[in-house]
Amino acid sequence: MTQEAVAEAAPPPEPGPVVRLLQQAIPGVQFHVTVTPIDECVTVRRDDFLRVMETLFRDERLQFDYLRCQSGVDYLGELESVYHLYSFGKKHSLAVKVRFPTADPHVPTVSHLWAAANWHERETHEMFGIVFDGHPDLRPLLTEEGLGYYPLLKSHPLADIEEWQEDILTAVDQAKKELVAATGVAPVIDEKAMKIQIAQQKAAVITRTRKEAREKGLSAEDEKAAVAAALAKFEEELKSQPQAGAAAPPPMSKVEMAQAKAKVITNARKEARARSMSTEDEKLYVAEKLKEFSAQMEAGPAAAPAPAPKPAMSKIELAQAKAKVITNARKEARSKGLSAEDEKKYVAEKLKEFSAQNQ
Amino acid sequence: MARETLIPSERDLDTIDIDVNVGPQHPATHGVFRMVLTVDGEVVRDLDPVIGYMHRGNEKLPENCDFRQVIGYHDRIDYLAQFNTEHCYVEAVEKLGGIVPTERSQYIRVILSELNRITSHLMFIGAFGTDAGLFGTSFMYAFRDREYVQEFYEEITGERMMYNYFRPGGVAWDVPENFKERCRQILDRIRKGIGDLEGLMVGNEVIMARCKGLSPMTPAQAINWGLSGPLLRATGLAHDIRRAEPYSIYDRFEFDIPVGTTGDVYDRLMVRMLELSQSVRIIEQALDQMPEGPIMAAGMKRILRVPAGEVYMRVESPRGEYGVYMVSTGVDKPYRHKVRGASFCNISALREMSVGHFVADVIMILGSTDIVLCEVDR
Repeated sequence: MTQEAVAEAAPPPEPGPVVRLLQQAIPGVQFHVTVTPIDECVTVRRDDFLRVMETLFRDERLQFDYLRCQSGVDYLGELESVYHLYSFGKKHSLAVKVRFPTADPHVPTVSHLWAAANWHERETHEMFGIVFDGHPDLRPLLTEEGLGYYPLLKSHPLADIEEWQEDILTAVDQAKKELVAATGVAPVIDEKAMKIQIAQQKAAVITRTRKEAREKGLSAEDEKAAVAAALAKFEEELKSQPQAGAAAPPPMSKVEMAQAKAKVITNARKEARARSMSTEDEKLYVAEKLKEFSAQMEAGPAAAPAPAPKPAMSKIELAQAKAKVITNARKEARSKGLSAEDEKKYVAEKLKEFSAQNQ
Repeated sequence: MARETLIPSERDLDTIDIDVNVGPQHPATHGVFRMVLTVDGEVVRDLDPVIGYMHRGNEKLPENCDFRQVIGYHDRIDYLAQFNTEHCYVEAVEKLGGIVPTERSQYIRVILSELNRITSHLMFIGAFGTDAGLFGTSFMYAFRDREYVQEFYEEITGERMMYNYFRPGGVAWDVPENFKERCRQILDRIRKGIGDLEGLMVGNEVIMARCKGLSPMTPAQAINWGLSGPLLRATGLAHDIRRAEPYSIYDRFEFDIPVGTTGDVYDRLMVRMLELSQSVRIIEQALDQMPEGPIMAAGMKRILRVPAGEVYMRVESPRGEYGVYMVSTGVDKPYRHKVRGASFCNISALREMSVGHFVADVIMILGSTDIVLCEVDR
């Protein structure tokens, strides 16, 4: 972690007065001293942890009688349990940290020393999966029983949207590579990129011509003329090339492309899940769909977004249209001065016409 | 406990303890909170608080927000002491980043935090009176005054509840020109309101009968359970983070720390009543000292990147110690963002406080902890 890197780079800070007291009270224990803007902070080994905490609680010189806060931190591969202590007698504070691997998340409880630790440890247990050995009651506190995952671990995504975002970046990259490998054609023509490319080519032509001219020992004027001729030739060549960018409808923007791809991925996943495929198969399936998509894109952006058939009238729209027909028919009937019976018949006729039209 | 002696002690009849659910939807639980009471007749033999109904992942969300976006979440953690929670968070960022807020903004922060303490305590007193049986009157008195201040917040921040006004390095924008004038006006009203409330609550027969001697606590118990704020001070321990570990500019003001003697429910109420006047005192001093000047520290970037490190910042919120433990790895987002809610720790001692008391008294005890369930569940 970055934190470790910082700690290694800087010389180890001088232990403050509280840490010195602690060292006196419990000699022979290794402390790793770090600095925070307010409190003094020590990291202890897990084997020494309980002994250190008991000393902090009981020792006359330290008298840490108040546990303000206990937190867990996930350092990817390692978990950390942090205790912030305060002494009402001595008016000093200290942070104690203990680290252990995620694979073996056990640490002794301190709830027998500070009753306040009870709920803090329960919460940390349910959020990080840290097991506080000896804790009287490790039931989940804030979430339901049997959640099956530890929400505050870094491996747990914030929500699906995050997963989607990460996936899409890798998927887009992969799709691009696949496309280039399969066809040898860059997938999307970026107008700006193309302009830059042309400018670069132009610059290369100018440099080359100048170089040649100088090698031939031409005069400055002749050199200019040569460059102009070379440029004119280059532009002519450019014009004679099939202009993909100008002829084709405006290419999809990158964002649109990414969105379309994301849609493909999401749909493919949904289908795969609906068919209850294994994760491996699902991946393969998604990859296949992506390939299809890339092929479509290559065939031409116009072909890619298949024009959806015009959606049939929704029920509500239909009902609204029907209502309109009825109202109109009635109006007409009244303007013609029809009797109530005839009016009904007229409306029915109009409705029949309408339904015939819509079928 | 003392109340047990009042219960007929004959055990000749066959009785069983039964479990009673109070909450989660119950006016006396002050939010979405459930307690499972095991009762023997009218006496509570066991209590299991069930929380988490309001859990919104307020510690996970900030890991995906940049440092400025997190401020809004703190409004929603303790919705009765938003300025205090924001204050804690921005101070934490400032401590990590070595940012020094401007003088004027510090005064604005202190004044608003103290006003917020007043509105929060007013809310407590109003609701507590309802718990005790003074139906309506205390609420009306408290809310009449609270409304003035609420309007004032709206004038400053544009919001009635979720202010999102403090920023690392200062505040979002300057206060209106008539700030001091309006503030003094409001203080006058609050002083009058405090008088009304004291006339209603102090020595009130209903309050005395229901609160005096209920659920006493010793300082040692309170410390061991991690209680803070008025609950801790009611036991007689004059501990206030504003005095013990002064943050911001609290070392510049004179104020007393009201303490109780026995730590019972009545003391908890009285401590809060007395704190109202102390907050008024602090605001008056702050208004006198408040300088003109910039409201944002120079050279603040739009996207903050604070150096790698960690800090546990704590402030004295109306409910006690509100803390933010933040780990930064040098990017624009906090790596870990733990919130120590004062209500969370206070409510964890509810079983300790309630066992052996009548069911009706448990409602009073719960009310006296002044919990905000959003802060408990985060």
